Amino acid sequence: MPQRYRWPTISLHWLTLLLIVAAYIIMTILQDMSLSPQKLKLYSWHKWVGITVLFLLPLRLLMRFFDPLDHRAGLTALEVKASAAVHGAIYLLLFAVPMFGWLHSSAAGFPVVWLGVLPLPDLVGKDKALSELFKELHEGSVNLLIGLVVLHAVAALYHHHIRRDGVLARMVPGLRNKQ
Amino acid sequence: MRYFATLGFFVALLSTTVSTTVSAQDWKVDYRNSQISFIIKQMNVPVEGGFSRFNVKAFFDAAKPEQGTFQVELDIGSIDTGSEEGDGEARRPAWFDTARHPKARFVSKTITRNNAGSYTVNGDLTLKGRTRPLSVPVVLTPQRGGGWLVSGRATLKRSHFDIGGGEWADPSVVADDLEARFKLLLKP
Repeated sequence: MPQRYRWPTISLHWLTLLLIVAAYIIMTILQDMSLSPQKLKLYSWHKWVGITVLFLLPLRLLMRFFDPLDHRAGLTALEVKASAAVHGAIYLLLFAVPMFGWLHSSAAGFPVVWLGVLPLPDLVGKDKALSELFKELHEGSVNLLIGLVVLHAVAALYHHHIRRDGVLARMVPGLRNKQ
Repeated sequence: MRYFATLGFFVALLSTTVSTTVSAQDWKVDYRNSQISFIIKQMNVPVEGGFSRFNVKAFFDAAKPEQGTFQVELDIGSIDTGSEEGDGEARRPAWFDTARHPKARFVSKTITRNNAGSYTVNGDLTLKGRTRPLSVPVVLTPQRGGGWLVSGRATLKRSHFDIGGGEWADPSVVADDLEARFKLLLKP
């Protein structure tokens, strides 16, 4: 009985976390910078990283289908619902946050060219008010995402240290379940 | 008979007058419907900007535009780079240095006709105090009411005019090439 996800699922999970942290750190740094070539680079890197999260999302959803584990084992009906709600909301935000960023960039009149190579289409025309709106939605949704990710992590640690049911070990290579 | 001769004389006189009015003239510019813009790649991303204030002097005979002259004066301070922080940066000495060089100027020297409605305007572009020859393909499109739409685009190198030096010189961040575009609506 497989008690750990396969490597593509695990890699995509942790890679997504790494990318989100990187995008957040880049944005925090560049917000305080005055305009410079370095700032333009950081803007682009932030967009590249965020769009990569978006591109990885379909792969992750596919892996849920190809690499399923029983989500309900050992959980109460309420816990199953809470877990599904948080996971569903995280997936939704993994889509919404980069999309709002892309929309913000389009509306600001700066197209996104992923990795400096793949030009993405402008989703909306240049519009200052719309650009501000998408900026707020981008910021608001990422804060919500961070909140849910923290909740998700706390729940995983709770499973590992208190319930000792192997839930965290499914996603962490080499982690042994506490007996 | 004499009456008709007199009429004929007046018709001839009138047509001469008419042909004089359609010969070389200073065209009025409809600035609301005219644009001077540019596209420059930043991190390989094409970003559009433009100038909201400029002055155009177009003097030509619609029948022989190749004998005419064009002069364009740009108010560099009216630059729109696509973002507010970019607008501020563009005025600084590393870029356009608007305090010392508030205007840019293009003055035509020769115009050659390529085919109907299509011309090449050769002239001098003065930007940030540096003058370089520039050859611009121009299309003249007749408008209702006797006006003309003058449109075209030209590729320039910002390094030729020392625009964006120092830390900004790296063309992998802001490209050296930029495309200038213009659409000028002329009215009689």
